[in-house]
Amino acid sequence: MKEIPRRYWRNLDIPLILAVLGLFLLGLFVIYSASASRLINLNSDPFYYVKRQVIAAVVGLTGLIAILSIDYRVWRRWAKIGYFLSILLLGATLVMGRIAQGSQRWFRLGSFNLQPSEIAKIVIIVVLAHYLEKPGSFQGKKILYPFLLITVPMALIILQPDLGTSIVFVGIVFAMTYVAGGNIRHLGLIALIGIVAATAAILLSYYKVVKIIQPYQLRRLLAFIDPYSDPTDSGWNVIQSMVAIGSGGFLGKGYLNGTQSQLYFLPANHTDFIFSVAAEEFGFVGASLILCTYAFLIWRGIKIALLAKDRFGTLLAVGCVSYFVFHLIINVGMTVGIMPVTGLPLPFLTYGGSTLLTSLMAVGILLNVGLRRQKIMF
Amino acid sequence: MRVSNSLVSRRIMFLFALITFTVLLLAGRLIYVQLIRNDFFIGKAMDQRLQSIPVDAKRGTIYDRNGIPLAVSVSANAVYAVPNQVKDKESTAAKLSEILDLDLEFVLQRLQKNTASEWIKKRVTAEETLAIHEANLPGIGVVENPERFYPYGSLAPQVLGIVGIDNEGLEGIELFYDSYLRGVKGEAIFERDAVGQIIDHGIKAYTPSIDGADLVLTLDFYIQQIAEKEVRRACLETGSRLGLIVIADPKTGEILANAIYPSYDLLDYNAYPIENRRNITVTDPYEPGSTFKAVTAAAALDSGVATLNTHFFDPGYIKVSGWTIRCWNRGGHGPQSFTQTLENSCNPFYAKLGIDLGGERFYHYLKTFKFGDRLGIDFPGEAPGTVRPPSEKIPLVTWANIGFGQGLTCTPMQLLAAFGAIANDGVFCVPHYVKAIRTEAGEIGPEIPPSERILDQNVANMVSKVLRSVIANGSGKKADVKGYAVAGKTGTAQLVEHGRYSHSKTVTSFAGYAPEHDPRIVGLLVLWEPQGAFYGGIIASPVFARLVEQIMPYLGVKPEQESGIDRRLAVKVPDVLGKPVAEAQRLLTEAGFKVETAGLGSRIIDQIPAPNAEVYPHTTVIIYTDLDYLPVYSELPDPIGV
Repeated sequence: MKEIPRRYWRNLDIPLILAVLGLFLLGLFVIYSASASRLINLNSDPFYYVKRQVIAAVVGLTGLIAILSIDYRVWRRWAKIGYFLSILLLGATLVMGRIAQGSQRWFRLGSFNLQPSEIAKIVIIVVLAHYLEKPGSFQGKKILYPFLLITVPMALIILQPDLGTSIVFVGIVFAMTYVAGGNIRHLGLIALIGIVAATAAILLSYYKVVKIIQPYQLRRLLAFIDPYSDPTDSGWNVIQSMVAIGSGGFLGKGYLNGTQSQLYFLPANHTDFIFSVAAEEFGFVGASLILCTYAFLIWRGIKIALLAKDRFGTLLAVGCVSYFVFHLIINVGMTVGIMPVTGLPLPFLTYGGSTLLTSLMAVGILLNVGLRRQKIMF
Repeated sequence: MRVSNSLVSRRIMFLFALITFTVLLLAGRLIYVQLIRNDFFIGKAMDQRLQSIPVDAKRGTIYDRNGIPLAVSVSANAVYAVPNQVKDKESTAAKLSEILDLDLEFVLQRLQKNTASEWIKKRVTAEETLAIHEANLPGIGVVENPERFYPYGSLAPQVLGIVGIDNEGLEGIELFYDSYLRGVKGEAIFERDAVGQIIDHGIKAYTPSIDGADLVLTLDFYIQQIAEKEVRRACLETGSRLGLIVIADPKTGEILANAIYPSYDLLDYNAYPIENRRNITVTDPYEPGSTFKAVTAAAALDSGVATLNTHFFDPGYIKVSGWTIRCWNRGGHGPQSFTQTLENSCNPFYAKLGIDLGGERFYHYLKTFKFGDRLGIDFPGEAPGTVRPPSEKIPLVTWANIGFGQGLTCTPMQLLAAFGAIANDGVFCVPHYVKAIRTEAGEIGPEIPPSERILDQNVANMVSKVLRSVIANGSGKKADVKGYAVAGKTGTAQLVEHGRYSHSKTVTSFAGYAPEHDPRIVGLLVLWEPQGAFYGGIIASPVFARLVEQIMPYLGVKPEQESGIDRRLAVKVPDVLGKPVAEAQRLLTEAGFKVETAGLGSRIIDQIPAPNAEVYPHTTVIIYTDLDYLPVYSELPDPIGV
């Protein structure tokens, strides 16, 4: 392993690390609040999820350091093999993955579940950055190539089925191709075709012509349009989340005092709806502080993208930033009722090993690109 | 081909601007949800956590006139649902219907209501309570709640009526006096979690319920039992499809007993046909038949159309504007006094009285007796009966029909009230079921119209003496009870089916009172579609006699010494039972009796007076033949009713 030159360490983005650390620590508190009363009721350790999250963080930190210690420019060599490995892994998930809540997303690793689609996001970011750094490879008709690259892994993820994650893939590929210099008209056309195709798929499924979209996904989409159309199931989650957030008010109900989250009204509160718990207990002040922290993190990522030493670094940073952005918008948007329920996690806050690992790896990539940034000329 | 760094930078900055805009959008949404709609969502959160458990008011007790409780409220476990806490309505409904043995549709429909709480089942057993607790269904609970119970079983169920699952009176007295009985609901408020567990230090509130007022009925527990026993026996013995007995105090209109057979069980009413729940005494009009002749007699005497000295020759029929009205006695009754016409129940005479009274005058008397109008009784669903006004250009023959009780309908209660007025010296008392309502503020009386005089006292007494003679000397002899001077009138009418008089189905009745000079009870017995013998004189009269025999001693009425018959002059009535008609007529005539023959049969199935009874010579003996009822009125126009 190549020694990292000393001067690089001065480029380590400490504010970014602090923002991530802050979000993670806050996440531990909120996970405890969201899960403790339920766990006590079940006669389990109230710190069960908190402890597992810390273990996942240690694993993730190891991954982050490993990523940090290898110059990102070397990764180009591994892009191809990583791409095929992740397709293999996603394929294997479909064959022998663990089924939970109607979808097959996980691999069992000891007492932890690994979600390959999360890891695949990182791999895809590296693969796309490598592909898009050469401007000639996506000019003209070739604009379709980056999209074709993600088609196979995305298809495998849709089959799980996991609509939310595949939407993140689409977001990432659009953002990266756009920044890499893709023709805006072409991108717009692709987006238009995509929207028409998605609408057709929804309508065809709704009128039961073809079963492209699973019935539960369709219900969630309809519940998003009108939560009260299905107030007991899909709509219930959104209604409960909005009730929790809305009743939190300006200052919140206080830590461990959120009635809706403590009294089991709010479902999936330590995972998908962790933001609702935080917003109920810490109010508008806490919720907007979380949003600001994310905005800060995104800003640091953008800065790293701007200052990257090469196009590959820039695109890596843009990919990682879009990863955070899409998770943030889709997850928080869902909790406040402006996005459909998709089950996408909120990075660093949501309980879940794979998500935390992936998020920390993305941070590792950002830091790596930042370490080897170009000299600032002023 | 190259992409310049500045283009990439510009695009990154544009992307960042877009991101910033989107994050601001999220923040804006937070402002809307958390700050602007804060109060709304606080209310929503409260609604979810605060649960109001209904506390039904204790429904008032219903007592008989002696203070014996007939319907009381007792505490029982009841299962309720808080619909908006029930997440999976279908599966919850399925489980509930299985545990509680209820109809799935009923449960589901209750769970889908948008109310604070709904009763699912009342009076659940200990096992059901346990099963509900074990099933641990969100939004479903068990609470102790007052519940209707009938300590002496289902007495007078058609009068009391049933109470619904929401503790509301659905029928009968329970419905009519529901506003008094029901009281005011209270509620208990608890703070609960999503699973439905009460939070120890949560919000709690309690509003007590206000108990309902008690009712004291006019019904007498013991007389009611006698009536129910006798109506059941009468129906079973005669094969009648339906029967009723109603007994009232003629001086006040207080209903002492009201029994209907077949009956039903108040606690298990779904196991019986719904028509068993009808109090037909009040809700179902019928054609009164010959019992109605008492009213015609009163109208004729009051108006002067006839006097007690009026005589009438019955050739066995009367012709009215082309129609022939026949008498039930084939040969006619021949010359009769006014009293004898009623003793003989002579149709041609009462047809003539109807004609002589004429539409306007007869109609006026019918209205005076409240025929064709609701009595204003304290019972829901009272029917007025049908009396067509003369303004409808009613043919004369209809008034002749009404004269002997056909061509009009009335409820049994209306006929009872009319007999009550004759018994009560001409003062009409509206029959009623409730003696007093015991509210917090004190006792109040029933909501009924006041009593009023409708007949001259002398006229009433004249009719009463004639009615007494019907029992003492006429067709109602079997109703007489030694020492209690029963007065009354029998009746047999053809049932109206599909707008025509039936040739085979009859309604047999007896209306009367006792003792004649100081009446303590007025009663009406009606039997629908008796099988075999159906002459009111044969089957209805003995039932009334049994009622009088049992009720008079209970009321403490001492039997009077009757000036029995002078044994030196008495002769024995020959036994003609089973004999051919001609032989029986010959035997009786030879023995010096006058003979009246009922029916077209060839053998004698019954006789009045009974065989070997000691009577004066020349008494009229009625012999009943075995052939089915002669449809004497079937040629008549305009049946009224069903």
